[in-house]
Amino acid sequence: MKMSSTFESANKLSTMKRILLSIFCFTAVVTASAQENTLSPDQNPNYKVSQDKYTAQKETLMATMNTTVQDTYKAYDWYVAKQERRQQRIDDRRERRLYRLQNYGYYYNPNNQLYDPYGDFYRYSPNRFRYRGWRHGW
Amino acid sequence: MVSRSFTLFQPVNNHFKQRKMKSIFVCALAALLMFTSACSRKVTRIDPAETPDISGSWNNTDSRLTAEEMISQVLAANWLNDHNTAKGKKPVVIVGMVTNKSHEHIEAETFMKDLERSFINTSKVGLVQSGKKREELRAEKADQQTNATASSLKKFGMEKGADYILQGSINSIVDAFKKKKTVTYQINLELTNIETNEVVWIGDKKIAKYVKN
Repeated sequence: MKMSSTFESANKLSTMKRILLSIFCFTAVVTASAQENTLSPDQNPNYKVSQDKYTAQKETLMATMNTTVQDTYKAYDWYVAKQERRQQRIDDRRERRLYRLQNYGYYYNPNNQLYDPYGDFYRYSPNRFRYRGWRHGW
Repeated sequence: MVSRSFTLFQPVNNHFKQRKMKSIFVCALAALLMFTSACSRKVTRIDPAETPDISGSWNNTDSRLTAEEMISQVLAANWLNDHNTAKGKKPVVIVGMVTNKSHEHIEAETFMKDLERSFINTSKVGLVQSGKKREELRAEKADQQTNATASSLKKFGMEKGADYILQGSINSIVDAFKKKKTVTYQINLELTNIETNEVVWIGDKKIAKYVKN
């Protein structure tokens, strides 16, 4: 009889302990969630959506912080454009000259193919119109 | 007969010799000139406050004038007093991004640093580090967590949060025809309240130049 009463009281104690622990856990969870959801006066209740969105991409967005982002454009300057055209002509001439030397040799003259030993291959060919068309003329 | 012909052609030979000597002399002179001109670099120290305009592009003087103007505007504006009255302590500012939308490469750091220095020197505005430097600070803090003594290590989560962010933009307008050109730069800096998004100050500096080639 005495043994059974001791056993019962121990059992009751453990049940009480379990109930208290679960109450404590529940209170802690409720308090934590309440703290998280506590809004400041006039704060938007949907602030969490924005907070999550920007927290996820903050590294990318802050990469340019304290720097100068160069988003420059090319302004049209008549004088500079003229100089650039001139330089382009010089570069083109040089490129043509190099190409000519590499591909035809020193005697090639694109403006006078009639007397050019390497020039117009089909000029006096019997089949010249087949290659150049009759509209091409002499 | 032979000697006669020799005397006949002698002056002609002399003339060719003279011409040859002359051409050698001219070539030598040209080479000397080229050599001396190639070695004639001269460096003169100048006062940074008086940088001369050379090409008409953005230069040190523009940067300095912008910094001076911005400093005088930002420290005299109402936002400073308003913040002190509302919060009872000096505002803390973080430097954000400056976008250069002009036609030239301009580095804003040259005048932004002057502005930051003025914040610290006047003790009216607090400044917190941002960008790459802040990343470095955090990395150092992380390193301290495992390497520094317990009494000297710096904790995470103790940084000061900024009240305002300073952002800016640089714009330009170019009008050119033949050898004449006008360039107008407009530099804008904005101070925005981070919590409320309210722009509390906008500073601007306009620089106009007339360039004749």
